[in-house]
Amino acid sequence: MPKLYRLHRAALYAAVFGTTVAIVSTASAEEIIIGAATAQTGGLAPYDQPALAGLRMALDELNAKGGLAGKYTVKLIIKDTRSDTAQTATVAQELIDAGAKIMITPCDADPSISAGQLTQPLGIPTLTLCGSAPVLTAAVGDVMFGTYPADNVQATAVADFAVAEGKKKVFLLTSPDSTYTANLPEYFGKVFEKKGGAVVGRGTFTMGQPDFSAEITNIKALADQPDLIMTAAYEPDFPAFIQQLRGAGVTIPVYGADAIGTPTIKGLGKLVDGVVYTAAGYAEPGSKLEAFNAAFTKSAGHAPESTYEVNGYEIGLILDQAVKTAGSDDPKAIRDAIAGLKDFDGITGKITYAGTDRMPLRPVALMRYEGGEGKHIQTMIPAAADVPAP
Amino acid sequence: MRSFMPAAFRNASADALCMVAVLLLGALIVFFFGGAAMQRVVTYAAIMLTAVLGLQIFSGNSGIVSFGHAAFVGLGAYATGILTMPAALQRTALRDLPQFLAGCELSFFAALAVVIVLAIVIGLLTGMPLLRLSGSSASIATLAMLIIVYTLLVAGREVTRGSQPFYGVPREIGLWTAIGVASVALVAARLFRETAFGLATRAAANDERGAAAVGVDQRTSRLAAWVVGAVAAMAAGAMMAQFLGAFSPRDFYFDLGFTLLAMLIVGGMSSSLGAFAGVVVTIVVIEVVRRFEGGGEVLGLHLPVLFGLTQGVLAIAMILVIWRRPTGLFGERELNLLRRPGRQAATVPAAPPLHAERDRLAADHLSRRFAGVVAVDDVTLSFDTDSITGIIGPNGAGKTTLLNMLAGDVEPSAGGVSIGGSVRRASAFRFARSGVARTFQNIRVFPQMTVLENVVVAARSVEPDLASAEAAAMRELSRMGLEKFADQPAARLAYGQRRRLEVARALALKPRFLLLDEPAAGMNAVETAELVSILSAVRTERRIGVVLIEHDMRLVMNLCERIVVIDHGRVIADGTPAEVQKNPAVIAAYLGSRTARAKTGQETPANETPASETA
Repeated sequence: MPKLYRLHRAALYAAVFGTTVAIVSTASAEEIIIGAATAQTGGLAPYDQPALAGLRMALDELNAKGGLAGKYTVKLIIKDTRSDTAQTATVAQELIDAGAKIMITPCDADPSISAGQLTQPLGIPTLTLCGSAPVLTAAVGDVMFGTYPADNVQATAVADFAVAEGKKKVFLLTSPDSTYTANLPEYFGKVFEKKGGAVVGRGTFTMGQPDFSAEITNIKALADQPDLIMTAAYEPDFPAFIQQLRGAGVTIPVYGADAIGTPTIKGLGKLVDGVVYTAAGYAEPGSKLEAFNAAFTKSAGHAPESTYEVNGYEIGLILDQAVKTAGSDDPKAIRDAIAGLKDFDGITGKITYAGTDRMPLRPVALMRYEGGEGKHIQTMIPAAADVPAP
Repeated sequence: MRSFMPAAFRNASADALCMVAVLLLGALIVFFFGGAAMQRVVTYAAIMLTAVLGLQIFSGNSGIVSFGHAAFVGLGAYATGILTMPAALQRTALRDLPQFLAGCELSFFAALAVVIVLAIVIGLLTGMPLLRLSGSSASIATLAMLIIVYTLLVAGREVTRGSQPFYGVPREIGLWTAIGVASVALVAARLFRETAFGLATRAAANDERGAAAVGVDQRTSRLAAWVVGAVAAMAAGAMMAQFLGAFSPRDFYFDLGFTLLAMLIVGGMSSSLGAFAGVVVTIVVIEVVRRFEGGGEVLGLHLPVLFGLTQGVLAIAMILVIWRRPTGLFGERELNLLRRPGRQAATVPAAPPLHAERDRLAADHLSRRFAGVVAVDDVTLSFDTDSITGIIGPNGAGKTTLLNMLAGDVEPSAGGVSIGGSVRRASAFRFARSGVARTFQNIRVFPQMTVLENVVVAARSVEPDLASAEAAAMRELSRMGLEKFADQPAARLAYGQRRRLEVARALALKPRFLLLDEPAAGMNAVETAELVSILSAVRTERRIGVVLIEHDMRLVMNLCERIVVIDHGRVIADGTPAEVQKNPAVIAAYLGSRTARAKTGQETPANETPASETA
């Protein structure tokens, strides 16, 4: 962009809006701009904020060592999307104008796709903070990367575990109200059936419905009683469901995914004994994750609220590795480097993009509630061939 | 000389072109000097403007707050998404799409055309049941519609991908397409106000009974506003689909509904200028404040990072607007570039309307009971054109109920009303269109409309087009000596002037019968005398049948050639003023039987009885 034109534009911004701020970058050769179009406010903020905190921590540490690949100092520009899809597209465009070579998008599919459609033609690698809908990357194209364990990866991990346990018959409880609640149990069902299990029944619920008696009656009335109930329900539906299920005298185990790894669910105590769920990682004593948690607590002043922090931190490490491999700050080279990443040593375990649909294969920690505590069962990386197509 | 366009349309077009010019100017500035991001902001603003105008066309004219327009935006977006999606992508993204919807791959404008047709169909389907309700229950119904549409979008998984993101919509929409569509919406919204439907909807929003009395079919006009609003909102949705590229049903739910409403309320609900200003102000505030959120140096001051500032400032701005200007920034008025106060009043064509044809308005054994109270009891009366009849009687005698039934406003419990020999079902607006005009005891002019518009609404139900309605309205206004107030809101008129306006409005219907309910109530002696001379002149000029209820005996006795006396819902006397004055039953009804005997003995003329005090 010619410098004169840029000045002109800045002057116009000032004139039209009576402001004196304009985002005009003066990126030096040693600087790489990462644009973060993330929700600072609104419904997505509780997810985006911890992830972004982790990413900032990683980038601060990297900058202290000279930047990405020890060479490119990172300038992180954060803009608020207000949890709004249209606003996400607008700020993404602004970040592109400001010279962003890497884009970070919110923990949700719609805004990530909307921003990705802008970065796709320019070849700017785009990473969603913790969006886990597997369709997300295919909807945009080859610049879009997931970072969090995708719904189908999580479901595969739980299914593998259930099969290994000897479970044979599953009841799937879904809700069409969100991608997560609608699809995750179905992914589970696909893997489970492929590995010799059977889906003996399906039920649906509306998110926020207080009464599950109809579904519970259906489960009790099944001629072929399941030995497992799989659901992706979370608060407030999950507590209501399990309370009423156990109240009705049904003792069939219930498995879920990462959204029930919360203090509220843990607080249900004996009621959720035996419930299996997932996490992006588990801090075993002496593990890298434990060290990260300590370091994060020291730098942020509070302990990580979830595994979103470490996930964000790992995005920083992935970018560092990608720039190293690419050997330049060219967005296309960085994209190719991310796509080719194989068995990269993250904090939670090995992360692989090569051979995937750009939703990473990465460790999924399986957890089980016992006596009001989340106990770690095992951490595993499902085989790419087992993960069902989105 | 008749100009090529009615004055109201000329004025509206000037306003609309002015707003379009501002919009284009903004777009040009951004096009030449703003970056891609600024262009996206303006494109988004134009899309929102289109949606807000859709809301304004309905809510601004009908006064019914609608939450349902977000649903129209959503329907437009999904329809466009399906129609424009590349077939190859459609096979993976929408595997179960019904065959007849698959593989359309239309261009944006072709899809827009389909969406507009769809909008008309959906508007009619949703409007018909919805608009049988009125006021706040209609608002709640629009809310229900929003929830129903959201549920359908979530449930229609084969077509909409359910709650999952709908993606793969090509992004053909650019700055100029959005500006173009928004300009059309702007012109449509500004002109709609002045059309027969717009006038009628506004009149009904001002005063439902008053509107029916001047021949306004409230439901039809409201339905028209609803459908036109739906078309604009769905066109906005079509653009939104291509602007976002990926969306899900929750993008078109309460949040959007409230955003649209908030923008409209800030600007001012009842004018297209308000909708325009509301969107511009909201977007400018967001864009300015947003730049400060990230912190930084401004004029040497160090600003902290303060995300959420935008929403905070926006909320405060809205509270300030609603507090200081409850009707919004431009709530009351349009620009009215060609209609400045003090402007020369339009020349009034002199041609008086034709004499009314001979006709008869008849009540046949008419009764009306209200929960056991008999207000009107078996009344049989008939009135001819070219006559003035006064209906008098003590308070609570049933005069107004009788008049309401003659005007089709109240359904008789028994008996019927016939115009020209054919019995009609009670319907105020149909009676008004068939030549029975009326005024009300408690004046029912349309306060928020101009004096001229008040009369044009009525004239529009009998005249073939707006231009002749305007001419007829000006003629009636000058007949009543109100022409110099033509462009003022009716609310600013003095009491007596409002009474005269109501008469002018009734006369604009070219009635054969004019029913006046206490036309002189609250007027002083000078005003009353003026009214009497106007009424008798009207009667001689047009030979219409005038029926009036009045407590002012001087007026009744001077003006009327026939007097009907009603007491306890029954006709107790019917004849010339002289006959009625002597009728003992009448005097008994007014003054009690003992006085009656004394008075008849003295032969006192009734127009000197203190009966007028009962008014």
